[in-house]
Amino acid sequence: MKFSLAGGLLIAILAFIGCKDNTDSGPTSTFTITFKALYDGQPLEKFKAYDYDTYKVQLTRFNTYMSNITLLGGTSGDVKISDIEWVNFTPDLAPDNFAVPVPIAIANVPDGDYTGIRLGYGVPPNLNAQQPKDFPAGHPLSNENEYWLGWKSYIFNKIEGQVDLNSNGQADGALIYHCGSDAVFREYTFNLPVKVEPGAGITVEFDLKTLFVLNGTWLDLNNAYNQITSNDVNDVVIANELMDNFGNATTVK
Amino acid sequence: MKGIAIAFPWRISTLMFFTGIALVWLSCKKDDPPEDGEQDLTHIPYAPQAYTIVKPAHFPQIQIPADNPMTVEGVQLGRRLFYDPILSADSTQSCSSCHLPQGSFTDNLAVSTGIDGIAGRRSAMSLQNVAYATNRLFWDGRSPTLEDQALLPVEDPIEMHNTWPNVIEKLKKHPDYPARFRKAFGINTTKGITRELAAKAIAQFERTLVSSGKSKFDRYLQGELDALDDEELDGKLLFFDEGQVVGLPDAQCFHCHGGLTLTGNQYFNNGLDSVGTLDEFVDKGLGEVTGNPFDNGKFRAPTLRNIALTAPYMHDGRFQTLEEVIEHYSSHGKPAPNRDPLIPTVGFPIPGTNPVKYSGLTTYQKQALLKFLHTLTDTDFVNNPDIQNPF
Repeated sequence: MKFSLAGGLLIAILAFIGCKDNTDSGPTSTFTITFKALYDGQPLEKFKAYDYDTYKVQLTRFNTYMSNITLLGGTSGDVKISDIEWVNFTPDLAPDNFAVPVPIAIANVPDGDYTGIRLGYGVPPNLNAQQPKDFPAGHPLSNENEYWLGWKSYIFNKIEGQVDLNSNGQADGALIYHCGSDAVFREYTFNLPVKVEPGAGITVEFDLKTLFVLNGTWLDLNNAYNQITSNDVNDVVIANELMDNFGNATTVK
Repeated sequence: MKGIAIAFPWRISTLMFFTGIALVWLSCKKDDPPEDGEQDLTHIPYAPQAYTIVKPAHFPQIQIPADNPMTVEGVQLGRRLFYDPILSADSTQSCSSCHLPQGSFTDNLAVSTGIDGIAGRRSAMSLQNVAYATNRLFWDGRSPTLEDQALLPVEDPIEMHNTWPNVIEKLKKHPDYPARFRKAFGINTTKGITRELAAKAIAQFERTLVSSGKSKFDRYLQGELDALDDEELDGKLLFFDEGQVVGLPDAQCFHCHGGLTLTGNQYFNNGLDSVGTLDEFVDKGLGEVTGNPFDNGKFRAPTLRNIALTAPYMHDGRFQTLEEVIEHYSSHGKPAPNRDPLIPTVGFPIPGTNPVKYSGLTTYQKQALLKFLHTLTDTDFVNNPDIQNPF
């Protein structure tokens, strides 16, 4: 008896939820951006010995903050659809060594045709001025693992690996790029038709081989100061160069 | 537009009200008679009070799972279960046997020993700030949540060597626990006492094990700039790679022990064992869980909070002192195909080396780092009366 009463009540609640008023705006959809990590056009594979200039590199970690994600040129103008996302291609418990695609579903995006998308690389200054304690648990910026206490900045991205400079099968150098400061925040615009409708989405690919080729020249890993950037006084130059090149290393489709 | 703005919150509150009524209705089955041997508990009031975790102001928010909200009654029950040897087969060991407050919830042993006198193969991890643990638990990441983690030691043959059905029977017949389960979770009869609820209560208590925020390092972070002396400040600069002081290299510590909890919640091969191939690791760590050979020899980076109180160090307790730990990293550990690439980069690049080698740390730098690690000691936490043995 009580079960049936409770069941009836739940049905009534469900019916209540179903009567949603949707007259305050036009139709919206969930828009999915799928981020992928590549090396030389192929899915990035951790610990694979990749050709890099005249030597080999193995990549072991790649994650990045993406921000101010904005669809451009809609009928009502530009629409910012996300302030910040954390994209981790190399979680510790991945099923294999391949970088995982990271789909991010963004709800309530106004349907329609857009002419492009703008992406922020890293954490924009207004958010970077805050700290993990300022965000609710579960928010991408509540993740204190990606925050530098020392510099009071989020770590915009981490790209890590090791280098075999002698091509003898033994790692003899590091490749550690942690970029993060207001000075290295970048935004890039990609012009392409984007349609938002139920089930729609785009793919954003980062090719790390392209990232490491700066103005047609490989970033020289024989130079110790090119192997590591933690954004300190010695290696902020490399962080700037990498962030300058991230747009070139990105393909949106 | 205006009408919608008013109607929406009304609908939410109405929905919550009716949902709450439905849930209470479903749980108040006073007319369901207890089954044979089960005890009716419905005469005991069920009115749980929300529990707010006390955390330092500069610490991040804590994520509480929706299916295990913190309550005063749940924390009290969990605290008792944590300290009660009733969980072990011979009633000699509790969670606290390996996680003692004075050791910042470790046992200060290289490896822990279970009720049968069998030594385990890994050291008990500190539980300080375990509420902030993301990315799984245990040295090898085998447990996805705190609630899941709390289930495992009971049935581990080299730990409590019990069975959950046996534990549940003991809890049902206990003079105190049935009422506490009722007050915490609203069960109507002792049949409602389950391993899942026991684990939830233990997890609730463990989430209260949060730093006091009164260590020297915390006082410094909160603006008391003279809380650290010059040597400790140099150690901090070495630790956090702040790169702003000429003459101090990067000790690379914070990459794995970052954030206020001083653990990146990630898994690394930190160069403990020299192996030629990935199959040679005696303890495969994360690789045992994932089956991925590149994860062999990787272990969770533990918190460095109260690190001076948690000796010995590493997953197998191989280092007796912090000096040994610092020396390990200063000398760049031992080679392995998946050794973390940061391990060999402690110190300054040595000019003229190709491939580049790094200098490690000087005697002064090691001492400064050691002194900084001692600023993480938080005696207010380990002495907090709310987290001591209630029996």
